[in-house]
Amino acid sequence: MRPAAIIGTGQTDHAKSRDDVSQPELVREAASRALADAGLRPSEVDAIIIGNMEMFEGRALPELWVGEGGFANRKPCLKIATGGTSGTSSCIAGFHQAASGVFDIVLVVGFEKHSEGQTQTGMALTDPFWDRGVASGALGNFALSISQYMAERGVTPEQAARVAVKSRRNAAKNPHAHLKDANATVADVLASKVLAHPVRLMDMCPQSDGAAAIVVASAERAKKLCSRPAWVKAATTRHEQPYIGDIDRRLLSMRTLRDASRSVYATAGIREPLKQLDVAEIYEPVTYAELAWYEILGFCSEGQAGRLIEDGVTEIGGELPVNPSGGVLCANPVGATGVIRVAEAASQILGRAGAHQIEGAKTALVTGYGVYAWADAMILGSEP
Amino acid sequence: MRPDIVVAGIGETTPVPADSRSIPEMVLEAVEAALADAGIGHRDLDAVTTASVDMFDGITASNIAVTEVVGAVMKPEARISADGLTAVAHAACQIWSGAYETVLVAAHAKTSIAPHRDLTQWALDPIHVQPLGVDFLTCAGLQARLLADRDPGAERRWAEIAAKRRGGAMSPDRILASPLVASPLRLGMCAVPGDGASAVVLRAKKKGIGGPILAGIGYDLEPHALGDRDLTRWSGLERALDRAGKTAGFEGRRPHFDLAEPSCLFPHEEELFVAAADLDEMTEISPDGGLLAGYIPIVAGLSRMTSATRYFRRNRKAGALALVHGTWGPAAQGQVVAILGGAAS
Repeated sequence: MRPAAIIGTGQTDHAKSRDDVSQPELVREAASRALADAGLRPSEVDAIIIGNMEMFEGRALPELWVGEGGFANRKPCLKIATGGTSGTSSCIAGFHQAASGVFDIVLVVGFEKHSEGQTQTGMALTDPFWDRGVASGALGNFALSISQYMAERGVTPEQAARVAVKSRRNAAKNPHAHLKDANATVADVLASKVLAHPVRLMDMCPQSDGAAAIVVASAERAKKLCSRPAWVKAATTRHEQPYIGDIDRRLLSMRTLRDASRSVYATAGIREPLKQLDVAEIYEPVTYAELAWYEILGFCSEGQAGRLIEDGVTEIGGELPVNPSGGVLCANPVGATGVIRVAEAASQILGRAGAHQIEGAKTALVTGYGVYAWADAMILGSEP
Repeated sequence: MRPDIVVAGIGETTPVPADSRSIPEMVLEAVEAALADAGIGHRDLDAVTTASVDMFDGITASNIAVTEVVGAVMKPEARISADGLTAVAHAACQIWSGAYETVLVAAHAKTSIAPHRDLTQWALDPIHVQPLGVDFLTCAGLQARLLADRDPGAERRWAEIAAKRRGGAMSPDRILASPLVASPLRLGMCAVPGDGASAVVLRAKKKGIGGPILAGIGYDLEPHALGDRDLTRWSGLERALDRAGKTAGFEGRRPHFDLAEPSCLFPHEEELFVAAADLDEMTEISPDGGLLAGYIPIVAGLSRMTSATRYFRRNRKAGALALVHGTWGPAAQGQVVAILGGAAS
């Protein structure tokens, strides 16, 4: 792929309910912050991509209404909708467009306003004949897979709770995060109510209102406009077949994420992820998933994820900080969640991550995840 | 140097008001036909780009239903919610970026499973517009009313255009006598929504890969509020066409099109299309009849591309150009075009 780079990012302050703004206003908040960060005016944007899952708000073709919040009036604009990966897939679409020679500056905005809809209804997405009665929504799927993961790999609730604690502590440094608590403890997590065994409330990501945006530029424009762009070294997507029972250990093995990460590692020349990556922003919808995906992403060998979190390897200041922003566990406006991952990783490379900046971050991994075991992966770097 | 893109294969279902098959069954027929037409299999695809709308299909992430039949399992799939021709535009960007060489584009919709017209209300501004009870058809009616009030001969002309597009199935007089559905639009002037799927294989041009060349793409989103737009013209199409011309290398000039395949759901839209594209009488418009006799939302623009591709297979005139067009949203808020160039061998 021809090179493209991220030159600006912007996020709203994510919250349980942003009833102070309409959906277009929410989008505008993130979009204008991203343009300000990139030092661009709206007129300099060539194309807009909106990421959103319309059923969460009960809308059809929401870009028609919210597009102008993203400065899309009289401009090329389209919407990407792929469930949880909507945000990362929108960013990948933005990379392709900015690298195509057709557009020089592409603004990608993801948003979701869960408070205006019924999220569980929006997640009734499993096959209506075969799967919906067994597992619908996120929680049922996770509970099934996590029980299997615990049984096979010996991961404990305490180890998962450490992920929640790390997340809330990191989020306390992030002004945009929805849930933050610098003093959360493992005992707090283990005392929170069970949602679906073994998943407890504090193990699970929230539903948030929020939007996030990135500005992607062609190589020529990126060099002119930004002293230290976040270059897209590699990006790919893997989708999975739809039936829950058709793949053994579906969420545990995540062959999509394994394959996507191996593909971007190969393209970006990464052989030892733990050593070569400086930071990772991964899409962890539930604490146990972060542990499972340490293994899948090659941060440790099988069954060693619990030790990685216990040893503090993935904390800010550890060998490979994972989700210094607080991650999905601390802010989850679905259509924006993947864009937040990309924006956070890009901010680390741009050196604009603020209190949760990882000093000297040069290489970042981003992942996206959808309940159907869809996976996106990308590597951002400080050099083209 | 960006690669040339060839339309290497096409496939589609026959548009019908209600297809008794499931969405994946319909899509499978279109995809298998397109792959066979291109002489390739699923394994030859680098990526898939699909177009569909969750709210119209009544299920979240409705492309989940087609992941297997489009061959996207363990592959990159971009899924766009807009007219299928925007998926072509995006797939073109993917190929021009150097990311992929062979991309399958598929679009699907099944309007028979839900009250489609009512669902279009849910695409309108929920604060100022949706509570008024208007939908896409009423928006088209408002636009037609604005045009008809300034132009006493318009309704007769529209009836004649509609009669022509219906291949003589209804006379202009019968169309003018048909019931008003969104004044001044009458039943005989309105395209009938239905069920279907289309698929197109795009490939970076190499030795041995033949077909029309996708020379340019462009799209545009007009402001949402009808009051913020000049409803007497399709300026969104003008901008989309200028962008497509630029990507095709026709900087600053409108080329002559031998064929136009517009997505016009009403006769007044055909007049707006002809004016915006600045077409003359030398351009053949919708030789297959166009969409008035039956159209599939979201699939429509992609189906125009399959029609244009068939045209190039019939007419091997050197240097021929076709204008392919799609729309989505109220009163064609979204506009997308592709420029196809003469058959390459």
